[in-house]
Amino acid sequence: MGEVIVVTSGKGGVGKTTTTANVGTGLAKLDKKVVLIDTDIGLRNLDVVMGLENRIVYNLVDVVEGNCKIKQALIKDKRYNTLYLLPSAQTRDKSAVTPEQMQSLCEALRGEFDYIIIDCPAGIEQGFKNAIAGADRALVVTTPEVSAVRDADRIIGLLEANEMKKIDLIVNRLRVDLVKRGEMMSSADVEEILAVNLIGIVPDDENIVVSTNQGEPLVGTDTKAGTAYMNICNRIIGEDVPFMDLTAKKGFFSRLFGKKN
Amino acid sequence: MDQSVVIKGFNKGIIVVLDPTKDYGTLKEQLAVKFRESAKFLGNASMALKFEGMKLDDEQQREMIDIITTESKVNVACILGDDPEKEAGFTAAFAEMSAQTPQANLVPSGFNGTFYKGNLRSGMEEIFEGNALIIGDINPGASVTAKGSIIVLGSLKGTAFAGSEGNENAFVLALDMAPVQIRIAETIARSPDHPAKSELKEPQIAFLEDGAIYIEPVTKKVLSERTI
Repeated sequence: MGEVIVVTSGKGGVGKTTTTANVGTGLAKLDKKVVLIDTDIGLRNLDVVMGLENRIVYNLVDVVEGNCKIKQALIKDKRYNTLYLLPSAQTRDKSAVTPEQMQSLCEALRGEFDYIIIDCPAGIEQGFKNAIAGADRALVVTTPEVSAVRDADRIIGLLEANEMKKIDLIVNRLRVDLVKRGEMMSSADVEEILAVNLIGIVPDDENIVVSTNQGEPLVGTDTKAGTAYMNICNRIIGEDVPFMDLTAKKGFFSRLFGKKN
Repeated sequence: MDQSVVIKGFNKGIIVVLDPTKDYGTLKEQLAVKFRESAKFLGNASMALKFEGMKLDDEQQREMIDIITTESKVNVACILGDDPEKEAGFTAAFAEMSAQTPQANLVPSGFNGTFYKGNLRSGMEEIFEGNALIIGDINPGASVTAKGSIIVLGSLKGTAFAGSEGNENAFVLALDMAPVQIRIAETIARSPDHPAKSELKEPQIAFLEDGAIYIEPVTKKVLSERTI
């Protein structure tokens, strides 16, 4: 039985879609059968980040409205043949899908896939409710900024109220130099405020911008962000991976993040 | 220019704005003049009519409509009042009626299609009954669907679906052809994953031949092989 994971944040622009694309691709790299679902109806992005926009024929709304079979709407990734994308509709809005429909969709996909990863829209309205409806666990993405952390806190509260079984935190776009100077919250600070399990720290990396623009997720490549995402994937499948030393290449900072188990 | 009677269009028909400071007799004369002048423009379309500016009693309304129908070929389908509930009813009835009226008399003969002016942005979707002539750009994430052919006087960077009901002779023509996807009848073509940097923009045409979609520069030869 597959696991349904929702990637959410509350605040926009912190990296939900990038995280979904990279975690999904990373899990496929680890030979897992993965489907990504974009629930940001009306503002779809995941297909662009995955470089699969030109393959879209049917979408999530077509599936729930019964215009096509699930299989017809799933787009096979161009790199990994165990990775699929269910794109969102661009010409509709969040009200086109209900939480109940999302739940039954997740149930239908569970038998076929190891991981069903849901890209949640920003906000706490209908789109959020749809995205979390069928999920077993959540990856809450935040950046080390007060506004993003505030929203992440609200989201975690809502997830707990909805009895989400497992909630993990990803601190995205961390800048080690700023943390060192005491001008940015460290991942430990964020973890302390939010009090949920930290599953990954992704450093700010310009390679992300390049990879996003090219529609090629960078997970597993020899970049800081690529390694960080791969570590998250390994932790998701239950491996015990030490947190990477983000200062390594610079050489003169001591190891910032202690090993977490 | 006499402004005592002004004719305006709205989505369901026309609004006649009457100047309440003028006396009824003058307004009737002006109404006749206005509709005589616009008769050719209005044609024999069926439309809803709405009076604004002055309250007319039933008798006056009837007189006004008589003037309109004698001076022009307009078919007054209904009169809209200011009562929103009633208006909703009329709108529904009008929609039903216009669905039954053949569309052919609403468009000038010779061009079985629709003009659309403006840019289609991501998330916008336009569906056309016949051929479509888009004056503007179609951005990525936007789509145009037509039962006939689609001509884009601008950039096609989104999705175009020509021959949506199976017409394999339909084509897509754009001044700048850079679509995410083109569909003609049952066939779908997608853009290359790593598009070559295009040198110069030239008008191109996409058409269906032997089950595959071809995109070629617009030449007389290619055009001569197409039918509309």
